[in-house]
Amino acid sequence: METIQGIVDFFLGLGASVFLPIVILILALAFGAKPGRAIRAGLMVGVGFVGIGIVLDVLFGNLGPAAEAMVERFGIELSIIDVGWPAAAAIAFGSEIAALIIPAGILLNLVLLFTKVTKTINIDIWNFWHFAFVGAIVQVVTGSIWLGLTSAMLFAAFILFLADWTAPATQKLMGMQGISLPHGFSTAFVVPAAIVNRVIDYIPGLNKIEADPEAVRKRFGVVGEPVLQGFIIGSVIALLAYAGDGSLVEWMTQVLQVGVALAAVMVLMPRMVALLMEGLIPLSEAAREFLQKKAGSRELYIGLDSAIAIGHPTSIATSLLMVPITLLLAIILPGNRVLPFGDLATIPFMVCMMIPIVKGNVVRATITATVVMIPTLYIMNAMAGVHTEVARLAGFSFPEGATTITSMVDGGNWLAAMFTWAAGNFWLGHGLILVALVVLWVLFKKNTAAWHKLGGYTED
Amino acid sequence: MAVKKKILVACGTAIATSTVVARKIEEELEKRGISVELTQCKASEVPSKAEGHDLIVATTFVSGAGDIPVIQTVSFLTGVGIESDIEKILSYIGGS
Repeated sequence: METIQGIVDFFLGLGASVFLPIVILILALAFGAKPGRAIRAGLMVGVGFVGIGIVLDVLFGNLGPAAEAMVERFGIELSIIDVGWPAAAAIAFGSEIAALIIPAGILLNLVLLFTKVTKTINIDIWNFWHFAFVGAIVQVVTGSIWLGLTSAMLFAAFILFLADWTAPATQKLMGMQGISLPHGFSTAFVVPAAIVNRVIDYIPGLNKIEADPEAVRKRFGVVGEPVLQGFIIGSVIALLAYAGDGSLVEWMTQVLQVGVALAAVMVLMPRMVALLMEGLIPLSEAAREFLQKKAGSRELYIGLDSAIAIGHPTSIATSLLMVPITLLLAIILPGNRVLPFGDLATIPFMVCMMIPIVKGNVVRATITATVVMIPTLYIMNAMAGVHTEVARLAGFSFPEGATTITSMVDGGNWLAAMFTWAAGNFWLGHGLILVALVVLWVLFKKNTAAWHKLGGYTED
Repeated sequence: MAVKKKILVACGTAIATSTVVARKIEEELEKRGISVELTQCKASEVPSKAEGHDLIVATTFVSGAGDIPVIQTVSFLTGVGIESDIEKILSYIGGS
């Protein structure tokens, strides 16, 4: 028994950048990938992990001190840094529970497929990190990896339900048959969007406005690109933070340096995650073939990444408008301490599945996203503590002082937050979520057509 | 040797789906002895990055591509219909 404990401790002591490649290697081999490919895959994941750590250092080294200085100067206390989903994904995959999520998620999907509870076959293994994230957080709250896993699986089941519900709307939007989007973040936001959109229907004036998304996109031009966003946000923050700090030359030096550093973070972070992602490809392909073989010839939805729905002109236009709106909200909302940054580039993921619900109307989409953003920011505030703890356990170190982090994905995800809060009284909380899911599912099965319409599907 | 053809792969984030698509296209074309230069970008970056590419393969909607042909497909993600999409790519970049 002691030797087993010793071995487990040894592996966990290696740190995520070593431990994770070993896990990926073993899983890839188990799903039948070739050894050479599996070893390379494992190493690429480790490389991506190291890369993300380096970029995070640049982010904290620049944004951390500036955010602190801004607190001292203006009393705008935005000291919780939004590190963005790439960091959150790395944190989730670096957590102890990540190794269990992939096989457990596949097993759960197969069970729900064969019992005909779901039609979605989720081959988007990459986005299992959302489930791992919830699992890791619940593990921190409860201290049990098994409760964490239970939570993650209930979350995965919830997302499969939401994917089935929204599948017809998604297929119509994309012009593609047989797909659904079981995405831990995008798909969750269908629920609040459907509610807000329904309310807008009753507001005279608002319910009539339309706008051309292409015009919005053109007006923003290159400002819509992450590299420019990073530079502008970095410069403006440094401009405020270091005003009157030494000479004008010193001030401008700070402004330009922070600006370029944050532009670098915006560009480099996704590149680093692309490496991590590349390492997951052999595993995700092997898992896909395995799942598709087991599923046979039934009429199914192939579950893909919601990234495929992001390019809709309304989605892009709304996301661009939401960048300044989100920053403004962060400043004016009383009690908010979150400084939105990394996930400003990820707002399209919040918006993309709202598009069918608002019928592609950019004004409606922007109002809906703005209303939904307010609780999202507060959820990020509330979840930041446990989020930071999970990051620390996954082996990310933070500089002294600027030590609280969050990310909109999934630190601001209402569904992820529900599981976190339910973890406080685990069985009661999760029992209630399970009951809610079963009730929703029964209602959905009873009146499927009406639900599809609510999810944004229209016949014409 | 001829100049390598340039393909721009666009998805929502330039991370997840476009990485899968780019690696898959590279692999499939290598099997046919063709090497290409692949660049990944976000759908919203297409207008500023499209120039100079011979073809755009996208997993999502793209606009602002100008005269450059666009193939919108999820076959490289689902594994269904890869062959016919590779044929399409070849017809644009002038391989066999």
